[in-house]
Amino acid sequence: MASGTAGPGTTTVLSLDALTTSPRSSRSHLAPEDAFINAAASPPQRSGGFDHHATSHNNNMSLLRDTVAAAGAAGDVRASSRRRESKFGSRSRSRRRKRNWKKILWVKQSYPDNYTDQTTFLDSLQRNPRLQPYEFWPLVADTTVIVQQVCSVTIFVVCFVGIFTERVSPVAVVGWGSFATFLGWAVWDWWVGQEGEDEVLQRQNSHRSRGAWQPRQDGGSGSAHSTTAPTTPSAASSVTNLGATERTTSQGNLAAMRSQHGGSVTSLHSNVSHSSRLLDPLDGLRHRPSSPLRSGRATLRLSTIKSASLIYFTILGLSPILKSLTRSTSPDSIWAMSFLLLAINIFFFDYSGGVGVKFPASLSTNAALMASTVLASRLPSTGQVFSLTLFSIEVFGLFPVFRRYARHRSWRYHVALTVLLTVGAGGGMGLILGEGKDGVWPWKSGLLGVSVGAFIVIVAMGASSWWLIGLQKYKNAMNGPWDQARPIIISRRQWEYD
Amino acid sequence: MPRRTYNIAMVSDFFFPQPGGVESHIYQLATKLVDRGHKVVVITHAYPDRKGIRYLTNGIKVYHVPFAIIYRSATFPTVFSFFPMFRNIMIREQIDIVHGHASLSSLCHEALLHGRSMGLRTVFTDHSLFGFAEAGSILTNKLLKFILSDVDHVICVSHTSKENTVLRAALDPVMVSVIPNAVVSENFRPRKYPPEPPAPNNGFGNATPAVHHLGPNDPVVIVVISRLFYNKGTDLLTASIPRILENHPNTRFIIAGSGPKSIDLEQMIEQNVLQDKVEMLGSVRHEQVRDVMVRGHIYLHPSLTEAFGTVLVEAASCGLYVVCTAVGGIPEVLPGHMTVFAKPEEDDLVVATGKAISALRANKVRTEKFHDQVKAMYSWDNIAKRTERVYKGIMGDITEAEFYGYDVGNTAAWNGESHSGVRSFALIDRLKRYYGCGVWAGKLFCLCAVIDYLLFVFCEWFWPRDGIDIAREWPRKIYHSDDDD
Repeated sequence: MASGTAGPGTTTVLSLDALTTSPRSSRSHLAPEDAFINAAASPPQRSGGFDHHATSHNNNMSLLRDTVAAAGAAGDVRASSRRRESKFGSRSRSRRRKRNWKKILWVKQSYPDNYTDQTTFLDSLQRNPRLQPYEFWPLVADTTVIVQQVCSVTIFVVCFVGIFTERVSPVAVVGWGSFATFLGWAVWDWWVGQEGEDEVLQRQNSHRSRGAWQPRQDGGSGSAHSTTAPTTPSAASSVTNLGATERTTSQGNLAAMRSQHGGSVTSLHSNVSHSSRLLDPLDGLRHRPSSPLRSGRATLRLSTIKSASLIYFTILGLSPILKSLTRSTSPDSIWAMSFLLLAINIFFFDYSGGVGVKFPASLSTNAALMASTVLASRLPSTGQVFSLTLFSIEVFGLFPVFRRYARHRSWRYHVALTVLLTVGAGGGMGLILGEGKDGVWPWKSGLLGVSVGAFIVIVAMGASSWWLIGLQKYKNAMNGPWDQARPIIISRRQWEYD
Repeated sequence: MPRRTYNIAMVSDFFFPQPGGVESHIYQLATKLVDRGHKVVVITHAYPDRKGIRYLTNGIKVYHVPFAIIYRSATFPTVFSFFPMFRNIMIREQIDIVHGHASLSSLCHEALLHGRSMGLRTVFTDHSLFGFAEAGSILTNKLLKFILSDVDHVICVSHTSKENTVLRAALDPVMVSVIPNAVVSENFRPRKYPPEPPAPNNGFGNATPAVHHLGPNDPVVIVVISRLFYNKGTDLLTASIPRILENHPNTRFIIAGSGPKSIDLEQMIEQNVLQDKVEMLGSVRHEQVRDVMVRGHIYLHPSLTEAFGTVLVEAASCGLYVVCTAVGGIPEVLPGHMTVFAKPEEDDLVVATGKAISALRANKVRTEKFHDQVKAMYSWDNIAKRTERVYKGIMGDITEAEFYGYDVGNTAAWNGESHSGVRSFALIDRLKRYYGCGVWAGKLFCLCAVIDYLLFVFCEWFWPRDGIDIAREWPRKIYHSDDDD
């Protein structure tokens, strides 16, 4: 009861915020005295004095303990522990009382149960162990993908407004859009072809070694875009031929591959191909002039054209229905709804996805297509509805694939595309917001829009990166031996849960 | 001076008839405290076949209070509804100390809160470890902070658990004691152990049972007894077994336990055609664990998190060489000559098991001595004695300086503030403690404490104390103290 007047309840609060901002925050460990509040108030140089006090305090404690032992507080336990310690014996009995406290439970130590060892307590606490401090410029570079998506959405909205106010002909929009899509597809096809040539032998090798234990389900995280039907037979046949015999020899490869699964795919492939080339140096050459590849690309193109025309005619047929779909809904609801849906598109878009992702961010894409559908129903004519819907598919369905591939190919393409999109979005906004005088090309407002858009984009990129870096100081992850360990399992399939 | 005894109420959602570590901990501790002359009642929730008041061995009275069970036999957290009944029990049994167990038990948390409102001393025992990252544990930690900011003393089962609890609930480390679990070593004897225990003053090493060596062609049997859950490391086990058997063909596995991961194990057995080498027993009752354990030579424990690991002590007590992952509090539990530690990685586990097998084959490990050694390390008598010291400390029966391990003059060495030792019951002091829990949480907690106090005042008026009968006591045991304190 002596300390019944214990200070405010805040005495025992582990004030981590205070710690992080206090001058001692450079330390990586918490010490017991940090568990008291006046961490912020206590000058950092006190720690030296603290050690001194702590030792004297230990002496006092051992004195105290002697008296306790004389009273026989825990005599028999002591005696038995003494026996035990002499059995496990490391030191002589006379020095037993000065023996250091150990973090073990199987020995009755000569310290009370609530003794807190100053030197080892919370020794294994790690704060922010896997923290990677963000750098400014890489962060800015990473924001470009978000800028691209926002600009794409802006361009779509601009086109809708243009069609809606009848300042832009819908045919022009969809014509230019389709032309750009065709161009993008051609470039993409060329890139894929180029990469496929390099990749085909590696992939066959890798399939052969991995097909034995895992039916090809992903084909590597980076190359799935080209795992289309035609290349499968060759890979699969080599699997059936060689898989069984190579099962044992490829065990080592397996380990290597598994351990860096999710790392860079190219290194994975090169790893595998390298080691299997040792096994069979002719194998790669034999597969090189692979005719299935060429014919496969042709089939691929044909099927692309087929599905494109299918989509084209479906939309054409559906346009009259779409036109009157939400006629009974008031325009205000439509604007609010489409705003919400486009916001969902931006927030749930798959910004991190590599080129190989099959169906990236389906929620995002679906939200955008629904937005275009409800917006299209505000348009008066079937032709306009058709144009807008087709354009939305191009912008939200196909364009992200191309953007991803451009980023994968070259950083320069990516930056160029970003600049182009920013200019397009800014200029478009300027045009539709500017005073539209009939017959006069409002280049002034367009130019103003471009400059304002570029300014906003640059400021937003910089500010958001800076803000995120600033927020990092609040990050305080505490890890220690109490955390559930993450098992490292290599021979089975990768670990699904965290 | 007559020895002071206490009336103690153990409160937890987890108690018999359901099986488990916390349950048997409470029971064993209560039994030994009764042996030491205290009176113990246990308060838990009602089970379908277990309602009302029961007496267990040694005169432990169990109150099964009617509460709805929501998840894994934890009751629904109704913050205040338990109070009238709780107060009635406390007065009826003249309780001095409320001792709550297990941080996932809402009954325990409520009892600690109400106990403080009624002016009782409270102790909390934490049996588990929690991380800080997941959303669930953030909520649990906040709740724990609320309850523990006004508790008198906390007991943890290992030093790692102490560090964790001190961080989670922002406690002063000196008010957290480390008192491990123990085993009833008579229930975990090796197979060829002499029926009567050796004379106590022989120490160990003198009257050890006959040494039996492992023959060169005898198979090494590895026993695994654990619930087959992800956090028990069953995936590690599934991955390691084929590799261990490949490296050491003359090895057998016995796996006892059930759970969602048992399917993976069965698949592994079928894929690798190991039916004659791996035996799966399904779940076994706690009293059968010893019979399973003595069939083996090595106990393998691949858990990913563990506050104490009682099963390791049980295995060592049965004379098994222990291979375990060095996670949580496990490294503190057993000395190095009884264990081989592995990192929680497949490769390392395979290597460690291989090491253990070769050590056994070389007959380097004196497993026949383990039982006596473990018996000397962990006994419930010792645990009860140490728990009693905590009770004495919070009741003020040993001086604060003795209990908290330093004299008052040195408090300045800590931080110049008076420490949070014996806690005042004044509402304003309690509110101060709660207020420090957080910007919003502190105010909410204060509100809860005030309402709880008003409820208490209402109960005092509506059901006056003198209207409540005092329960007749079971005749107390007279404890012949071996250390006259």
